[in-house]
Amino acid sequence: MINEAVTYLTATLIIYYAAKWVYRKYPRVYLSPLLVTPIILVVLLLATHSSYDSYNAGGAWLSKLLQPATVAFAVPLYKNLQTLKKHAGEIVASVLFGSLMAMLSSALLARMMHLNGELASSLVPRSVTTPIAMNVSQMIGGVPTITAVFVIMTGLLGAMMGPSVVKLLRIEGDIARGVLFGTSAHGTGTSKAFELNPLTGTISSISMILAALFTLLAAPVMLGLLG
Amino acid sequence: MKKALLAAIQVAGLMGFSLLMNRLAVWMHLPVPGSILGIFVLFLLLQFRIVKLEWVELGANWLLAELLLFFIPAAVGVMNYIPLLEQDGIRILAVVILSTLIVMVSSGLLAGALSKRKESRAS
Repeated sequence: MINEAVTYLTATLIIYYAAKWVYRKYPRVYLSPLLVTPIILVVLLLATHSSYDSYNAGGAWLSKLLQPATVAFAVPLYKNLQTLKKHAGEIVASVLFGSLMAMLSSALLARMMHLNGELASSLVPRSVTTPIAMNVSQMIGGVPTITAVFVIMTGLLGAMMGPSVVKLLRIEGDIARGVLFGTSAHGTGTSKAFELNPLTGTISSISMILAALFTLLAAPVMLGLLG
Repeated sequence: MKKALLAAIQVAGLMGFSLLMNRLAVWMHLPVPGSILGIFVLFLLLQFRIVKLEWVELGANWLLAELLLFFIPAAVGVMNYIPLLEQDGIRILAVVILSTLIVMVSSGLLAGALSKRKESRAS
């Protein structure tokens, strides 16, 4: 058992760092390590008829680091407090607007695509960090585990699409870029934002936190309005 | 080498701290997860100089630099939902992509416009 867990953990690390190395040489969206690594792992698992549970015996060790990594956001927040204070107004206003659009557009698009109500509710909180999204999903009649899948899809796609959107719309400045990544793609977007530069990452992390708190408070109210 | 060891110790410390915050969040019946509570508590501890920056900085930097790696197992978990995705995958993907674009455009453009306005006022 332990052996298997170590094997899967090692495989994840090797594939991830190899994918990262390839991505550094050929920085294409579809070569993003966050996309390539899970795909290779899923193909390997399916080919060897292994279950996700057996994979996750090793994978969970990495997932466990998500918690201290989230807590670690306190460090850039502390270091950049002055900048954050100076721009608090713009950040709060645009994150609230973005989060509102996230919930509204998810609900409306799901309805337009004729997805059933349970799936639609599970999609609504998809742009915020997993634990809060699952919590909100539960509150509004979604399925929390399915929401977790949508959250990770959003994170992958958001981190991949973000840099192109920034370029296409000519979004300049750490504030706007950070808000864009943190509001649209939670922690995954934030790690992409940290790759751009530390201040963008910090703005993104505060945006992620604000978006999560706002969604937690607003989603039940919104759903009532949408009926 | 010494730096790596120090970072590892700090990561372990942050790990313990986040577990403690989980307990605290449950115990206080807070609707937010322990990790979000942890951001606030650690921030306050730094702000009031109870925790010194150099006690956590190396570990925190490493965790943030490798953040994407920690999402990989969750992404692999999507394999449990292959039947759902076979049935509704394209439509779900369309919703996620379009809605993410809408969020990016609305929040990014608004933040850009607001900060530009502030700059031109300041100068």
